[in-house]
Amino acid sequence: MTDDDTAPDPGTALRVRVNGAVHELQVPGRLSLADALRERLHLTGTHLGCEHGVCGACTVLVDDRPVRSCITLAAACDGSDVVTVEGLAGPVADAVREAFAAEHGLQCGFCTSGMLMTAVDVVTRRPDATPDDIRHELGGNLCRCTGYVNIVRAITRAAADLGTITADAGTAVTIGGRA
Amino acid sequence: MKPAPFTYRRAESTDEALALLAEHGDDAKLMSGGQSLVPLLNMRLAQPAVVVDIGRVAELADVTEAPDRIRYGAGVVHSWFEDALVPDAADGLLRAVAGGIGYRAIRNRGTLGGSLAHADSSAEWPVVMAALGAGVVVRSAERGERVVPATEFVQGFFTNALDDDEAVVAVDVPRLAPGSRWGFAKSARKPGEFAESLAVAIVAADGRAEVWLGAAASVPLRVDPDDLAALPDGDAYERHLHGVTIARALDQARQREAA
Repeated sequence: MTDDDTAPDPGTALRVRVNGAVHELQVPGRLSLADALRERLHLTGTHLGCEHGVCGACTVLVDDRPVRSCITLAAACDGSDVVTVEGLAGPVADAVREAFAAEHGLQCGFCTSGMLMTAVDVVTRRPDATPDDIRHELGGNLCRCTGYVNIVRAITRAAADLGTITADAGTAVTIGGRA
Repeated sequence: MKPAPFTYRRAESTDEALALLAEHGDDAKLMSGGQSLVPLLNMRLAQPAVVVDIGRVAELADVTEAPDRIRYGAGVVHSWFEDALVPDAADGLLRAVAGGIGYRAIRNRGTLGGSLAHADSSAEWPVVMAALGAGVVVRSAERGERVVPATEFVQGFFTNALDDDEAVVAVDVPRLAPGSRWGFAKSARKPGEFAESLAVAIVAADGRAEVWLGAAASVPLRVDPDDLAALPDGDAYERHLHGVTIARALDQARQREAA
């Protein structure tokens, strides 16, 4: 555990919605959002690689925007809405997951949860992104297996698939499928 | 890699944050987005007794437009510039610069004021704000507000002009003068890295150029584009790189349509 019971910090009350469920926690100031998710809520889909904001494995959505949960304090997320890879749902997430499988966008899987969070953001925010744009957007997500080629293909494919879905459904698609 | 224990205090207003700073002085660190501070906490390079979270202070995210300038609250995050959710005082320069700071996940939390206070001369905002002649608005509970020219705000390696009880509350950015054009060039080995060289050029209507260089010294430097021999010491590669970013920034400015 990361908590140190001898610490002088009395802790901070935290009320946060994670994947749709509200949790009330008492957290020491130094607890990262990543550790709160993994060790308090047992949502271990969020991975910790570098723990200083470089590798992107710990990326989650906070209030619909991707952030690094390893360099975000849990206490700073009071009142926020957090979505982890376990809670990714909706047409964008489905398209991204299917495209990662179809294009072999992963090998060992360690970076994949962060890749999926970033991919959902990219496809939602920049549906017309070119492969070059996608590579730029992926600058903050490290993968040591794939060489990125199949990840870029997967995101390109997800955007294309989603374009078709959106056109068919005629409705706007938001991150996590929440309006 | 976990931070040393500290007491977390969330400020609901600027006044409350300043009162906490006055109370704890050098033992306290302000945190807005935390994108520079939390890595330092995780690596225990910083071990403050108290972290004062100003990330929720609504007034610090205010943007106020005046005819000659725009005042950006210190809490404006980089991605708001990138997405044009806030007006751009410099005809697109702020937007172009913001899109290259760190990664999208960093830009969603990292703030203008936090980046300035971190005082890294290889970061974008200290160099850009110096080039634009911006004023850094700082405040303390005891002495009120003063404006520090951005050209003097970064004073050395990770050293800013703030006293222990002061916080950056806003940045006053003058609007680009009529006919002025900007150029911006950054060299880094991968997207999102801190610059190895960073140049901002502002070319006035009469053709005169002002050029500022980052990542060349512990503070942003004003350089004479006609006298690159005056650049600070560095190896041949670094000096070459600075020459390249300066030339690119100048070319970009001169080829741009004036505002």
